[in-house]
Amino acid sequence: MIEDPSSSKSPAARPDTAQVDASCRVPLFVLFGSAVSWAVMASALALIASIKFHSPDFLADCAWLTYGRVHAAAVDAQLYGFALQSGFGAALWIIARLGGNRVSQPWLIGVGGKLWNLGVLVGVIGILAGDSTGFENFEMPRYAGWILFLGYLMIGLWTALTLHRRNEGRLSPPQWFFLAALFWFPWIDSTAHLLLLVFRVRGVEQSLIDWWWSDNLLLVWLSLTGLGAVFYLVPKLAGRPLHSDRLALFAFWTLILFGSWAGIPAGAPVPAWIPALSAVATVLTLIPLLAAAVNVRQTLDGHCRALAANPAFLFVGFGVAAWLAAGVMRIASALPGISPITSFTWFGVALSELHSYGFFAMILFGVIYCSVPQVAGLEWPCAGSVRAHFWLGSIGILLSALPLAVGGILQGLKLNDAGTGFVELTKGTLPFLRASTLGDLLMMIGNLLLAVNFVRLSVRFGRARLAPSCASFAADLKPAEVKP
Amino acid sequence: MSLESHQPVSNASAVQEPQARAALAPVWLIVLMFMLLYCGAVYFDQNGGWFDSRIYAPYQTYTELESFQPKGGGPDLARGKAVFDTICALCHGANGEGKPGQAPPLAGSEWAQGSPDRMIRIPLYGLSGAVSVKGQQFNLAMPAMGAALSPDDLASVLVYIRTSWGNKGSVVTPEQVSAIKAKVGNHPQPFTVDELNAIQ
Repeated sequence: MIEDPSSSKSPAARPDTAQVDASCRVPLFVLFGSAVSWAVMASALALIASIKFHSPDFLADCAWLTYGRVHAAAVDAQLYGFALQSGFGAALWIIARLGGNRVSQPWLIGVGGKLWNLGVLVGVIGILAGDSTGFENFEMPRYAGWILFLGYLMIGLWTALTLHRRNEGRLSPPQWFFLAALFWFPWIDSTAHLLLLVFRVRGVEQSLIDWWWSDNLLLVWLSLTGLGAVFYLVPKLAGRPLHSDRLALFAFWTLILFGSWAGIPAGAPVPAWIPALSAVATVLTLIPLLAAAVNVRQTLDGHCRALAANPAFLFVGFGVAAWLAAGVMRIASALPGISPITSFTWFGVALSELHSYGFFAMILFGVIYCSVPQVAGLEWPCAGSVRAHFWLGSIGILLSALPLAVGGILQGLKLNDAGTGFVELTKGTLPFLRASTLGDLLMMIGNLLLAVNFVRLSVRFGRARLAPSCASFAADLKPAEVKP
Repeated sequence: MSLESHQPVSNASAVQEPQARAALAPVWLIVLMFMLLYCGAVYFDQNGGWFDSRIYAPYQTYTELESFQPKGGGPDLARGKAVFDTICALCHGANGEGKPGQAPPLAGSEWAQGSPDRMIRIPLYGLSGAVSVKGQQFNLAMPAMGAALSPDDLASVLVYIRTSWGNKGSVVTPEQVSAIKAKVGNHPQPFTVDELNAIQ
């Protein structure tokens, strides 16, 4: 916040934006490229898991593809493979750009990224083989956890050093969010890993740690990273300054303060003060929600319509809307009058889909679509598929989350009615589950479009890079070079 | 699809990174935060049990929980029956009728209705050797089945035995059980009938 002009280096020493982008090339190709492949993988696994709810016989004979394993693998491939990994990439690119300096040790970050992917691969295969830890959102087996953490240390260390060596002295709002996320992840990951897998706590404390981890990863870390990207991309794409850095700071502190102890459900079998305190914290997350919404709205100030021509902006806009909707759903389901209806229903699944896919994944797709052409110096080979991805993704999420939310409320009302039989109640959710499978299918096709576009861009980039050396190989030898 | 193509033309060459203005946070947001904090504090005061680890939802205070506990005073026959059914009934039968070759009857037994000081010692330390119950001779070994029970539980089950199935024994209190535990102390061998008869 403190402006210190002396710490900004002279313009001559500063690399220009193209040089900054070029230094991001290796890490971003590794992180975003793998993240996109994991997104495809995760949505394919999620589709299989989704089909099983209305067609239980589907792939039921193979132990590796039973629901308990496929669902856990889908969640973890999405979280670790796509969300965290693409978040690391977005943080690195935006930190370097706002700092006006080159990335420190891009190759080592690339190696860290490869290590991270090895961890995700080992973990997902471990889960499919039946080695899941059994903790929700923390299913990665212990051996994969060590590889992931080591990979993260390499990525995180040099991202932090990139921020430290910035040329622009003053930190801007996106940098606060990314800096906090940079340290938030190793803190919660190491705590959950040690307390759940190494020095195991006993009994219901395990569930408490798992809820704390899920909340801090999904609500705090995803929101920190997603909002960092929003506060960078919205002003950038609109060509207008961010409305207020103070409001952003207010959203930042209230998100960290209230968000980090939300997440313990009301019916949890723990002493009453824990869910009561958690419900209060969840309701208070309304404050960062409103602060960020006001900030984005004032920044755009009615310029939305003109920006709708830019597909990247569509992704970001959809993401912000989904974040607000998921936040309101989360607060509603923590209220004492509503939580008995929504608990143990599909409502919670709808909420987490809207948050992880509708908000985070869509924002990060926006970052990928913006940054990769800059970093590679090439346009996306197929501009139409960007727009198609947006429509497939957004319709897919709505088709997946909306029916589950409505179905969840109906299911909850019936659960609270002693006169309704359980079988009848479960059958009543089937139409909603079928609709959500269709949504999952659309999302998977959208992710595939991005993957194909990414591969084609990489091939073009490789060809452009190799062309000069190929040409020199193919060129006729000059007579002087031929020795007698 | 280029990022900078949407910048104003004047910025296109410099590729300015976005700046932030310093507009103040709206006051209604701060007011709303304090209102929510107030409501949250009231909600926590009513539902949080003030960090007491013994209070689970839907209960709110420890006084409320205590009102559900059985009142002290007289012996608790329901508790005595629960203990009897889990521990004693296996050998002595659900109605205290005894089982040949396993255990003598308790219903109508002179031991079960006689001196409390003798009877308390039997479950606490066991009884072995020949014993006559209702005119029948038994030569069995009863282990110290009651040694692990709390004085409350042991007193409850003894009262249950002494007052059920037509038995007319006096009431046994937890204090009596504790007193005998303290008096006998370490007694590794089970009692015999002769030892018990020496006690009044």
